[in-house]
Order: sequence, then C-alpha cells, then structure tokens
Amino acid sequence: MHALVSRKPFNPEHVKIHKETAARDKNRMVTVSQVTTLVRRALEDAIPTTLHVVGEISNFKRHSSGHLYFTLKDERSELSCVTWRSDAAKLKFQPSDGLEVVVTGRVEVFERAGRYQLYVRRLEPRGVGALELAFRQLQEKLAEAGLFDEHHKKPLPVFPKRLAIVTSPTSAAIADMIDTLRRRYPCVQILVYPVRVQGETASREIAHAITKINAQCTGANAVDVMIVGRGGGSLEDLWAFNEEIVARAIFASEIPIISAVGHEVDVSIADLVADVRAATPTAAAELAVPVLDDLLATLGALGARLHRAVTTRADVLTVRMKSLLARTAFREPLRLVHRNEQTLDELSHRMYRRLAERIARNRHHLENMVPAIEQIAPHRYLLQTSAAVHDAQHRLRLAMSEQMRRNERRLGDASDRIARGSPRHTVETLTERLDRITRALDASVRHRMALVQSRLNAGESKLAAVSHKGVLARGFSVTRLKKGRTVVRSVAKLRDGTRIVTETADGAFESQVVNHQQMELFE
Amino acid sequence: MAKPKLSFEEALTNLEALASQIEQGQIGLEESITKYEEGMGLIKQCRKMLTDAEHKIQKLHERADGTLETRPMKNPAPKDAAP
Repeated sequence: MHALVSRKPFNPEHVKIHKETAARDKNRMVTVSQVTTLVRRALEDAIPTTLHVVGEISNFKRHSSGHLYFTLKDERSELSCVTWRSDAAKLKFQPSDGLEVVVTGRVEVFERAGRYQLYVRRLEPRGVGALELAFRQLQEKLAEAGLFDEHHKKPLPVFPKRLAIVTSPTSAAIADMIDTLRRRYPCVQILVYPVRVQGETASREIAHAITKINAQCTGANAVDVMIVGRGGGSLEDLWAFNEEIVARAIFASEIPIISAVGHEVDVSIADLVADVRAATPTAAAELAVPVLDDLLATLGALGARLHRAVTTRADVLTVRMKSLLARTAFREPLRLVHRNEQTLDELSHRMYRRLAERIARNRHHLENMVPAIEQIAPHRYLLQTSAAVHDAQHRLRLAMSEQMRRNERRLGDASDRIARGSPRHTVETLTERLDRITRALDASVRHRMALVQSRLNAGESKLAAVSHKGVLARGFSVTRLKKGRTVVRSVAKLRDGTRIVTETADGAFESQVVNHQQMELFE
Repeated sequence: MAKPKLSFEEALTNLEALASQIEQGQIGLEESITKYEEGMGLIKQCRKMLTDAEHKIQKLHERADGTLETRPMKNPAPKDAAP
C-alpha cells in the first residue's frame, strides 16, 4: 500500500539519484532517521505544496487538544490526515465518518512515526456547501434536543403593549417594521435593541440582546413580544441566525419571539426555534400587532349589539305591557262594578216587591176585618190602628228609600274609587259591603214587619175586646132577621109574623113578631 | 374608576358576556340597563386604551454595569416621506 502510494508521485530523477548512491556505497549502513529524512526530502521535492484531495472520512477523532485526526479513503487506498486546532476551529460543520470531503493541505512525513500524513488546512463537504452541511447538522442536533418542538412554542399576545425589536438599527428592515407597526397599531410602544446582524460578533450580540431583554425588561417595562431578525441576504450574511448560541437564547426566552430572517426561500435555525416564524420583517410586524381600526370597529359593533339588546328587551316588555293593558280588567275597569250594580238593582227590586206583597197581604187582611170592625161601635180603634199601619208603612218606605239612596251614593263613590284605584280589589270589597248592607236592610225590614205585625195583633185583640160579644156578655142581645141574618136596627124593618133570631151571650132563640111598634111607643 | 384596570382582552371578554346576558333576556330590565351602561363604560375605557397610548419608539442601551436604559429614538423616516 505504501509502495503504491509512494511509487506513483516519485520523480524518476530522484529515484535514479538514490539508486546511484546506493550503488556507489554498497556496504554503507544508514540509520532509520536517515531513511526517513531521505523519504521526507524525496516527498517534499516531488509533491506540490498544496493538494486538493477527495475522499471519505473514516476513523475520525477529535483529540482533547482540539486537533483532529482522521483517515481519508477511496476504494483502493487510505491516507492519514491531521487538522490542527487553529484550523479545526474555523470549521462550521462537524466532520464525521463516512462524510465525503474535499480537503486542502500538503503531504508531510511525520518522522517520529516514519509515516507520511496529509496536513489539512481546509475541509469542505463534497456536493453541499460547508454552511449547508453545518446548518443541517445543527438542525438535526437541536431537533433531537427538542428545541423545535411545538409544545415549547408560546402563543403571541393578542394586544401587545410593548414590543422589542432586536436587529440592526440602520437597516431597511427596522424602518419597514416600525412603519408597519405604527400604521397598524400606533398604541404599541416599540423598543429597539441595536445589534450587528452579520459578521463575527453578530450571533453573540443577538443572543446577548435576547437574554438581556428577558432579564431586564420586567414589571412596568415588561415586553410582551419580541421580533428578532434582519432583511434578506446570502446564506453567509444570515449565518448569525443559524448559530447555536442564538438558537439557545431564543429557546430560553420567556418572551414570545417572532423570527424574521431573510426572505421566503431560506429557513434559519432561529426561524425553527422561534415561537412564530415570519418570512420578512414586515410580515413579523404584521403578526405581532392587530389592526387598530379593526379593534375600534369591533368595539363599535359591540356597542351596537349592547344597544340593540337593551332596545329589543324594552320593546318586548312594551308589547307585553300593551297586551296586558288590552285585557278587560284594564280596558273596562267598571264592567265588574256595573255587574254588581245590576245585582244590587235586582236585589232592591226584589226587596221592594216582597215588601209590597207583604204590605198588600196585611192590607188585605185588614180590609177583610173592616166589615166586622165596621159593625162595632168604636171605630176609632180601627182608624187608629190603620193610621199606625199607614204611618209605619210610610216610614218604612222613607227609611228604605233613604237607605237605597245612601247605598247608591256609596256605590257611586266606590265606583269612582274603583275607577281611580285597583278595580278588582275595590270591587271585591264593594261586593262584600253590598252583601252586608243587603243583609242589614233585610233584617231591618223583617224587624219593622214584626213590629207592624205585633201592633196589628194588639189592635186585633183590642178590636175583639170592643166587639159585640162583649156587649152581649153585659146583658145585651142582638136580633137578626132569620132570613138574611141582617141585624135588626129598627122596628121599621119588621112586620108582624116576621121570624127573628135573638142572639145572647150564651146562645140564640127564634121568635115571631106579633106586635111591632115604633120606638117612640116605648118612650 | 375604583375597579382594578382591566386588560384590553379582559374588557373585550366582559363586553361579549354582557351583550350575551342582555340578549338572552334572563335578567330583569333594570339589570339589563345597568349592564348596558357598564358595557358602554367598558367600550369607552377600551377606546381610551387604544387611542391614549404613548406613541413612543425607544432605543435600548446597555450601561457599563450591565443594566439597560432606554433612550428616545427617532422614527426612521419612511423612504417615500418628505424630509
């Protein structure tokens, strides 16, 4: 293998020289070091100082000193390689076994080990750019660490009060962002943390700014949302946003972060870690704040909705009230009163009739007694009694009509009150009072009737006392014609032979007139 | 107002709730009117929040001791604005 490698690049001239030397001093002995030196000289002379070698990395080792040791191989051969620490530090990506690379360096002999090696100054992945590879490697690493996981993403505040922008203060990007923010949502307070976004220190500055804002903007100065980014550029220009230090700072941020790096085509590591990714700085500003005019419109709509709700409510109640008022109790509050008045009229009418009937009955009774009483001498009792009855009747009528008038007046008053006040209640009270009055009236009439009756009875007994029976008891007698039972008041009515009946206190006897004369004959 | 100041989001949520309560008609008319007035007050408060805010742009600077201070920053003039 060594022969194969060493043979090929050898300058035939040199080989010849060595061969000549060997021939000249056939028996001369040389040391190991001398051989190695010879080999080194021969190699250094024969091989260009800079070689670009294509191969696949194997046996890759990063020593604790920082130097890299690996072997490059192809299908047929292998080559030991070393990269010193200073050159290794410049590598963006992480070399690993199996990686196809193009290395730049020169071949030297490591005399102590008697080995030739390729001293690699630059290492480039083959096919893809170093930055692309570095990006892919970091992406893989951070993905594995969970930095891109959805559940770490924080929601953006809907109505941010304070917003921080970490970017270059002189770029077009900052002007675009401030312009967009002011146009959409002028009430947001904007804090700009100026950083370099490109060059050696950019990633450290960006990470530092994110950490500082998280640590220092607290309490009343709390920042609600942060935009980290820059305008578009080449992959190299955007590189700061692909550094692990920036990714870690974004991930650690308590404040939600919108990344705004470059334009659509490129995705940065910062984009992947950020809570929200915006394609451009302007897009980030749009994502960060709502549109003030929309909010004002929403408020207006809410106000209108409130107003409509209250108005509708009032309308519904008005309709209910109207339908209530349309009901009989309110529309014709006197109807109940009238109904009761009618009842009252009926009752009083019935009362009048009953009274009249009673009076008529009594009068009839009295009139029936008149002929009998008329036959009795002292008519004044009868007259007196009759007058008393008339008087009682008259007074009763008076009292009743007075009572009726009073009731009607009270009813009228009550109706007025009902019309003014709560009708149902008043009507109920009125009906109750009406009943009471009716009962009282009835009782009063009964009482008066009883009085009249008893006075009538007294008259009757007085009448009985003065009737002819009493006269008979005192020894008088009554003589009647047998025919017609007419009392004989004068002899003029008598003829001889007329049959008469004489009534005494205890009986009667019949006799015949034999000799009748005028009164003066007796005298 | 004696009440603790609501955030804009809280105020909006409250407004929605007030409107729904009145619309559902499960509260009395008087309460409806009280809630309506409360809602109108909230709207006024929200408008104030949106329109009264200071339209400031500031620059953050790190002091020597590592703390941050804010300094006023001019609004970078839009490209098409007159000087």
